[in-house]
Amino acid sequence: MGDLTEPFQFEFFVRGMVAATLVGVLCGAVGVYVVLRSLAYIGHGLAHSIFGGAVVSFVSGISFYIGATLWGVFTVLLINAAARRRQIGGDAAIGIITTCAFALGVALISRHGQFTRDFDAALFGEILGITSGDLAVIGGVLALAAAVVFAFWKQLLFTTFDSDVAGTYGVPVPWVEALFSLVLAATVIASLQVLGATLIAAALVIPPVTARLLTDSFTRMFTMAAVLGGASGLVGVYVSWFVDVSSGATVVLLQGALFVVALAWAVARSRWPGTGSGERLAAIEGATLD
Amino acid sequence: MVELAPSAPGHRPPPHPDGEPLVQLRSLSTGYERTPVLRDVDFTLRRGEFAGVVGPSGSGKTTLLRAIAGQTRRFAGSVETHPRPGERALRLGYVPQVEAINWNFPLTVGQAVLLGRWREMGWRPWPRRHDRELLANILERLGIGHLADRQIRALSGGQQQRTFLARALIGDPDLLLLDEPTSGVDIKTRHEIMHLLGELNRAGTTILMSTHDLNAVATHLPRLVCVGEGELVADGAPEDVLTPEVLRRTYGADMLVLRRGDAIYVVEHLDDAMTGEGDSEETPVPTTPVGG
Repeated sequence: MGDLTEPFQFEFFVRGMVAATLVGVLCGAVGVYVVLRSLAYIGHGLAHSIFGGAVVSFVSGISFYIGATLWGVFTVLLINAAARRRQIGGDAAIGIITTCAFALGVALISRHGQFTRDFDAALFGEILGITSGDLAVIGGVLALAAAVVFAFWKQLLFTTFDSDVAGTYGVPVPWVEALFSLVLAATVIASLQVLGATLIAAALVIPPVTARLLTDSFTRMFTMAAVLGGASGLVGVYVSWFVDVSSGATVVLLQGALFVVALAWAVARSRWPGTGSGERLAAIEGATLD
Repeated sequence: MVELAPSAPGHRPPPHPDGEPLVQLRSLSTGYERTPVLRDVDFTLRRGEFAGVVGPSGSGKTTLLRAIAGQTRRFAGSVETHPRPGERALRLGYVPQVEAINWNFPLTVGQAVLLGRWREMGWRPWPRRHDRELLANILERLGIGHLADRQIRALSGGQQQRTFLARALIGDPDLLLLDEPTSGVDIKTRHEIMHLLGELNRAGTTILMSTHDLNAVATHLPRLVCVGEGELVADGAPEDVLTPEVLRRTYGADMLVLRRGDAIYVVEHLDDAMTGEGDSEETPVPTTPVGG
């Protein structure tokens, strides 16, 4: 029994566990909008783009959080503007802008020759190196996201469902999109230290898609995705201590396992008529990771 | 010989009732990005009207509806709306084409309909008792009261149309804009939708709808607007507008117009289309009473 409580003796572990839980809730909830807007790729792209921003802020000597936030919001706004051009399209806009931003970061690193441990953490995550300051940033972003979602619940839902028609009903679509871009960029930045650029996309996509398999109601999907994300963060970090595997990878693998269970359940239920699982299975088509 | 059943005389209200103007487009050129879709359009819709917009695919029918809703780019001219006293903007109820709706979205009928009341619901994410009562009333009125918790994909075509009609109506609109509400539905559903729209119009709702269906829908409307290649070709009562000349300018194809009493039937020159003789010197068949 003593072995099972052993990790809680270490403050850095408890901090990491709290951080992973909060980031799980944050990514699960924000990821619902990402998945339903068919932007699964944006989490992946944005995380890499912000890595470029992190390098630029390091080279320019400004705070990582300030530099990366400005960079992230700028990138999302640029993606939105490029995606509105019919000749380009959303997926291509994400591909071009985020990889160029990432390449800029790599170019600066090779020019300055300082690939420090911090950048390693930004790419792969270093949950047990979370400081009290990082925890405060994660808590702050979660509070911001909760406030925005609460205050603009209907507007966010309407623009996610059908932004064209939302405009005809008087929803200020460009403002809502800009607000969502800010929340998404802040979410990715806050999650960078915990999960790393390479695993953020999974945390944004897997819990919402798992929740979608289990319900047809937006409200329930939102709640389930946040709970699944938070629970997998909590349990994943705890388990990683004992199996001696990277915490971020354990969290994502746990989310993947939950997705497989939900998929198996949905497939089984789809064989029973009138359960609606067949429709839900069809609905998540295409919402997988790139 | 085509036999058409004569319809009851005077079943259509006049095309231009005496109501005050609700929407006025003046010399409007509008479209998207850098491309104008509609050019130099003059159009007035009055309170209480029920008008249809017809034309081929890509002619600008949807753009006309979206221009009225303020969702297009204006290149020239003006769109003037006349909201209720004390209100800054016209209350619109917009029903998009079914093809444009994401049916896989995790939304129940109740959640979808309440989106039409997002502004009136205030700051709370959840509906108040008054909102829930309004929702129940509107769903009951449209005959889908038992479907409030059903996901939008798990509905029949008619129920799906009624759901988005309910979303448009729950905001108590001044004007109902419908983009091809009868496209892709069976005959029975089409009858139900048109019957419902007729009832709403008689109760005072102003309606503007686009349609591809000349015979089953357009000929029964009090007023028709024909749009061809981005221009307003004709505007008036179906008996005045549906002529071979107007149809040729609207659709770029020869069509026959058959009439009996109030009934009008438009027939394509299929023989010519099949044999490639459509551009012959033959005079288009004039508007002719048939059978009588």
